[in-house]
Amino acid sequence: MKNLISKQLLYILLLSFVLLIFVLIFSFALLIPQGKEYRIQRLDMKQHYADLYKYRTWSDETSMELKELKSKNQRVINAFDKLFTPERFITQNQNYFETLKLSEIKDMNSSSEFTMYEVTATSKINSPTQFYNFLETINKSDWMIGVTFPIVFQRDKTSIHSSFKMRVYSSDKLRAQK
Amino acid sequence: MQYSFTKPRKKYLVSSEVRLVLIFFSMTLFVLFSTYFILLYKTYSFESTTLSYQHNIQDINQSLYDLNQEIMFISIEKEKAEEVVTKNTILHESIKNLFDLVPNRIVLSRAEMEKNSLILYGITPNKEVCQFMLHAPLRSIFHKTYSSFYPIENSSGKATSGWLNFVSKNYLNDNTPTAYDETLTTDNAQMTGDR
Repeated sequence: MKNLISKQLLYILLLSFVLLIFVLIFSFALLIPQGKEYRIQRLDMKQHYADLYKYRTWSDETSMELKELKSKNQRVINAFDKLFTPERFITQNQNYFETLKLSEIKDMNSSSEFTMYEVTATSKINSPTQFYNFLETINKSDWMIGVTFPIVFQRDKTSIHSSFKMRVYSSDKLRAQK
Repeated sequence: MQYSFTKPRKKYLVSSEVRLVLIFFSMTLFVLFSTYFILLYKTYSFESTTLSYQHNIQDINQSLYDLNQEIMFISIEKEKAEEVVTKNTILHESIKNLFDLVPNRIVLSRAEMEKNSLILYGITPNKEVCQFMLHAPLRSIFHKTYSSFYPIENSSGKATSGWLNFVSKNYLNDNTPTAYDETLTTDNAQMTGDR
């Protein structure tokens, strides 16, 4: 018997058995679950990458849309953003009228999207032509201005006194209201 | 003195076969552990990449929200601008049409325009001219039209010949005249016998 299985061979067999058991335990307890986790994480990462790609595409498209919208409506955006100064308004429009006065109506609802001004003007001539011209140019002015009622024309001997209300819209007020 | 014909050979604790087996086993264990650690590292790397992707998505999502808000705001500004420009244009046309409507023989002294009403003051050579040339077209525009005439008085309080002062009050349906206006127009109508 001693001759058939040597001590060395017995050690090798024992070691092989131990190794086999260890490999089996290690594989089933750690390696295979870790492999599964690896696959799950890889799939998850790929999914997130696909999502990220989709979001980047949306973001690029939206940026392009915004850029296009801004370029198309540059005048409108500037008109809403520009700070209204009554002095500059009077300087720009004084050639339509003999006299032009602006006074802010303070008792308006603070949450409104515009500032209300009372405008009183006098035209030198007998017809309201200058007022028409003023209304035509107000749409092309630097600010977003809406002329509103009540509008009163009072004829004097050689001139027409007109008074009307004017709404000056600003992006700050519009943004605050939204 | 030599007692054996063979040379002595070295004896090892582990034989060469056993050593070979041990090397094989060691390699097996090395491969096994290295696979496990590679998997562990890659899993960690995927996790951190996924996390960075999530952060990127959150950032992009926030920026998308901001962009959409900006787009929405510009759209609101655009709509508001269109509304304002349209109202100004309509107002311009309305005032132009109103003054085109007034015949040359009638001279207006005052015009008050409200959202749903128009009050005209002026002088006319006679009632008929005013009735047919001014009030007739105004009636086709407004739902309620009231007019009153009274003679022009000179400084001594006597009526001058022919010409009449008139007040024409015109209302759209959603702005009916107040009780005060009704009384005033009725009184005026009774005074001039015209309504």
